[in-house]
Formats: sequence, C-alpha cells, structure tokens
Amino acid sequence: MASALRGALLCHLRVPVALSRSNWDPLGSVARFMSSGHDDHLTKEEVIHRVLDVVKSFPKVDPSKVTPDVHFQKDLGLDSLDSVEIVMALEEEFKLEIPDKEADKIDSCNLAIEYIHNHPLAS
Amino acid sequence: MAFRLTGLKVSPNSATLEEARARVFDFFKAACRSIPSIMEIYNLHDVVTESQLRSSVASEIRKHAQVSNPKVIDLLLFKGMEELGNITEHAKQRHHIIGQYVVGGQGLVQDLSAKDQGNSDFLKKFYNSNYF
Repeated sequence: MASALRGALLCHLRVPVALSRSNWDPLGSVARFMSSGHDDHLTKEEVIHRVLDVVKSFPKVDPSKVTPDVHFQKDLGLDSLDSVEIVMALEEEFKLEIPDKEADKIDSCNLAIEYIHNHPLAS
Repeated sequence: MAFRLTGLKVSPNSATLEEARARVFDFFKAACRSIPSIMEIYNLHDVVTESQLRSSVASEIRKHAQVSNPKVIDLLLFKGMEELGNITEHAKQRHHIIGQYVVGGQGLVQDLSAKDQGNSDFLKKFYNSNYF
C-alpha cells in the first residue's frame, strides 16, 4: 500500500533543480555561524530592552525604578537570592547558560546587558 | 532510572557558612535549570509560568533564611536535592507539584469570607493547605 502510494507520488512529483554556481557556497554558512561577528547578532538596544523587561517583570521590583544603570541589591532592595533568580530569568530569556563565576559577578543591569551583548550565543 | 539529574550528589559537610551559602546558590541554579523539563514532564504550561515556579523555589529556600548552622543548611540542602531528584525523575504526580509549588503558598481554599475565623489553629492550617 505504502509503496504503491510512494510510486504514484514519485511519478507526478517534479522538483525543479536550480543550482546556480554563484549561490553554491558550502562553507559560507558554516563560516558565518562560527564567526564572532556581530552582523546578525542582537543589537545593544534590543538587549537593553529585553533585560529591563525581565527585571521589571520580577514580582518584588518596582518597575518605575528600573533603569539600565540600576544595581539589583543597592537600588532595588533585593537580596542575593533575588539577584540569582534574576540571573536565572535572564538565562531563560536569552537561552544562555551563564557559568557560576560570571553569574556571581552580575549584580546590576549594566553588567547583565554587557555580558549578554558580548555573548556569542545569546538569542 | 532513565533520567537522573547529574551533578547532584551528597558531598562532604560544608566547613564554613560561606561554603554552605555557595552550595545553596548552586542548588537553586540546578533547580531553576531543571524547571523547563519539569514543566514538560508534568504538563504545567497551562497552570504556571517558569518564573512563578522559580519564585516558589526561592520562597522555599527563604523559609529557612534564619538558619546559620552549616550542618543544618547541609541537611536542608540534602532534603532539597532529594525532592528535586524525585520531581525530575517523575516520582510524583501532577497534583503534588501543583499543590505544593503552584497553589501551595496561597492556600487551597481561596474563600476569604468571615466563616473561617475560629480559634482552632488546626482548622486554620487545614483550610490553608495540605502541606506545612
């Protein structure tokens, strides 16, 4: 049954082959993927916007106080567990895994924006 | 077991409060990183968000914020890891997760009328939650 159907389909299917030499670039896409260039990467404005959104949506934070320069513990009155929670929320938002050493250093919006903007895998 | 959370194991006792504190953060991160798979296993996408679960884990940790004995923190951490292991291994059922971590904080009965104002501590707890 399946083979008959497959045969019938193959008889009627025609796939146009348009392989022009100029587009054929087997290594180009790989090279672009491996490069650290910022061409198709997140822009700084987008990173700032999304980081601030994550921080504002945190339940204990007063959204009106959040600016790009705000310090989690000094300015927003959060404790250390809260700042770890924000870092985990940022990890989830940008599909990252931030190693412990870097995660400990991120204690303000500025540092978070800087780290995520420079991270090649942030998306 | 088909799925076991790697990297969580019983370690020697913490020597100082600082070490115990660092371990608590490690545990919290491990718990947060397993939240997406937990939401998948227990099909929680329509009842709770990842950030709510994260806050709920943080509030469980914050319940013991006043503990300053490293040995006690180690014990609590061990219990937390056991719980996390059980959850990620699907040893629980959906209503356990929902009861303990989704509605647990606010109580199972959301009725705030005056009829619950008895003297009995037991009844108050009973109305509030199954999980103390």
